[in-house]
Amino acid sequence: MKLFSSYNRILAIITLTGLIVIGFLFYQTLGQYIDKQIDDHLYEELLEVRDFTHVKNILPSPDGFDDVIVDYKKINKLSDKRKYFADTTFYNPKKKHDESARYLKTALILNRQPYEVMIMASKFERQEQIKSIILIILLPVIILLLILWLVNRILIKRMWLPFRQLLINIKAFNINQEKVFEPVQTNIEEFRELNNAVLEVSLKVKSDYKEIKLFTENASHEMMTPLAVINSKLDTMLQSNTLGKEESEILADLYKATSKLTKLNQSLLLLVKIDNDQLQDKEEIDLKALIEEKISYFHELIQKRELQVETKISVFSVFANRSLIEILINNLFSNAIRHNNDGGSMMVTIKNDSLIFSNTGSRTGLHPQKIFERFYKDNASDGTGLGLAILKQVCLKQNYELSYNYNKEYHQFIINFKSSENKSQLIML
Amino acid sequence: MKFLIVEDEESLRNSINQYLTVEGNICDHASTYEQGYQKLSIYDYDCILLDLTLPDGEGLQLLKYLKKINKADGVLIISARNSLDQKIEGLSLGADDYLIKPFHLSELYARVQSIVRRRHFNGNSIFHFNEIEIDTTAKETKVNGKPIYLTRKEFELLLYFVVNKNKVISKAAAVVHIWGDDADMADSFDFIYTHIKNVRKKLTDSGCKDYFHSVYGVGYKFTDS
Repeated sequence: MKLFSSYNRILAIITLTGLIVIGFLFYQTLGQYIDKQIDDHLYEELLEVRDFTHVKNILPSPDGFDDVIVDYKKINKLSDKRKYFADTTFYNPKKKHDESARYLKTALILNRQPYEVMIMASKFERQEQIKSIILIILLPVIILLLILWLVNRILIKRMWLPFRQLLINIKAFNINQEKVFEPVQTNIEEFRELNNAVLEVSLKVKSDYKEIKLFTENASHEMMTPLAVINSKLDTMLQSNTLGKEESEILADLYKATSKLTKLNQSLLLLVKIDNDQLQDKEEIDLKALIEEKISYFHELIQKRELQVETKISVFSVFANRSLIEILINNLFSNAIRHNNDGGSMMVTIKNDSLIFSNTGSRTGLHPQKIFERFYKDNASDGTGLGLAILKQVCLKQNYELSYNYNKEYHQFIINFKSSENKSQLIML
Repeated sequence: MKFLIVEDEESLRNSINQYLTVEGNICDHASTYEQGYQKLSIYDYDCILLDLTLPDGEGLQLLKYLKKINKADGVLIISARNSLDQKIEGLSLGADDYLIKPFHLSELYARVQSIVRRRHFNGNSIFHFNEIEIDTTAKETKVNGKPIYLTRKEFELLLYFVVNKNKVISKAAAVVHIWGDDADMADSFDFIYTHIKNVRKKLTDSGCKDYFHSVYGVGYKFTDS
């Protein structure tokens, strides 16, 4: 639930119960007040009746008054002189329906005879009055509350605006991009504090990340010279005339390990370089020509594994850095060749702004996300485990959409070159 | 040929020295900027192997100095930094080539010879190895005067072996020379065998002696002894 609706819900419950309770109490008080007024009036009428009989020595006729009904009943003995006030209903013959009324009942001596007198007055008009009064008071209160609620809503929406912007900016913050976290301008202190906290964290994260990258870069560079020494020593040993079969095999293994280490180092450096956006110069690259060039470049490897290569390429060009695109294509090719079966097949397709590499290989699909993680590789792989991570990093930097799927025994890597443009256009709209 | 190795890492310097000192080549070496500065001021070299990070200075400064005193020595930069900017700067300052550490000595030697060839023969150089004749300009190979057809990679491979004749070249070095560092080929050393087999066959088919000698699965040697 949103903060606003949660707040609103509580507010609505409280106002509604408050309104009901206050309305009820108000109604009661008002009713009592009105009753009191009627009672006073009835008492006055009683006095009038007494005076009337005292002067004229006859009882006034029951309908001799305008607004009250008087009823007499002879009684034997005047025992209880108390006055009783109570509510009742009576049939109004003029209006032809029951009306609620108030009566005063008491015993009294009229013309030296004890009588029970009941004076009754209709409450109808008074009740109407109460209704009007309550309406007059409650209606503006309700309207006021509605206005308050509306104003609240607008105000809160406006006040939370910086928060929303903050959220958008936090979501847009990417550690891999040069752009720093964009602080939101606001006068509200809480948001300003949040803003500053996020800004601080983002700067810290950025600098830490930068440090890690720098460390990776320096460490990899420092390893290059010792690697050069190992390589040169191996080359020197290889020249020895006394090299036997056993030593040669050891040397071969050492060569393999050294080249793997070298490759690993180069890949790490390349990742840092891509991260740092050091490959900037962009140009128009004819992808069709590049792929054809790469097929001949990988020709011997393809031949050795007896792979069938099929291409369905239309003329297509991308505007990008040449090194990056070459790395992309190289990695896709070495991937499709290395993880293929001998005598298998691979297919390179360009359609709908997408480059698709499909190849046969293991009979089960791979994990569509994990394969792009650094140093993830299946047991059969002899690579560095960085090839696909580099691929992903290049795509990420260039805003290409990279995906993998396994379809009818074909492993497919799809790069959509145009996805980013469409998306950014949509956002702008 | 006379070379100067400016490199602070002693063991690497020694290995290079050992590998290059063949066929009457002479190697001189310097481990610091200062030593390098003195040696290249006094002597002339066919090629200077220049490390960029020296304990007491920048290799690029030596290169600038060399150009300032108008020396025509060839320069091959060897650096651990694979930075495009540095590469461009080095080449624009007059270096002939740029080799990134780690490298194979056979590759280093091939690059050095290529520099010397370019400088002394204007690149127009024909290699002879017994009955084989290789024209590096026209990219043509002849056996006993008769041209044979080699693909681009096969030609590069043969040239690489001829330049490094009498040396054992590891499969790893051959792979890097032909395919470069871009492709991740660490697990495919063995396919260089197919490649060499093809070159071998083309040579022997045209009456050439088989000079390729396998060294127990680790590499090959091109020699007539």
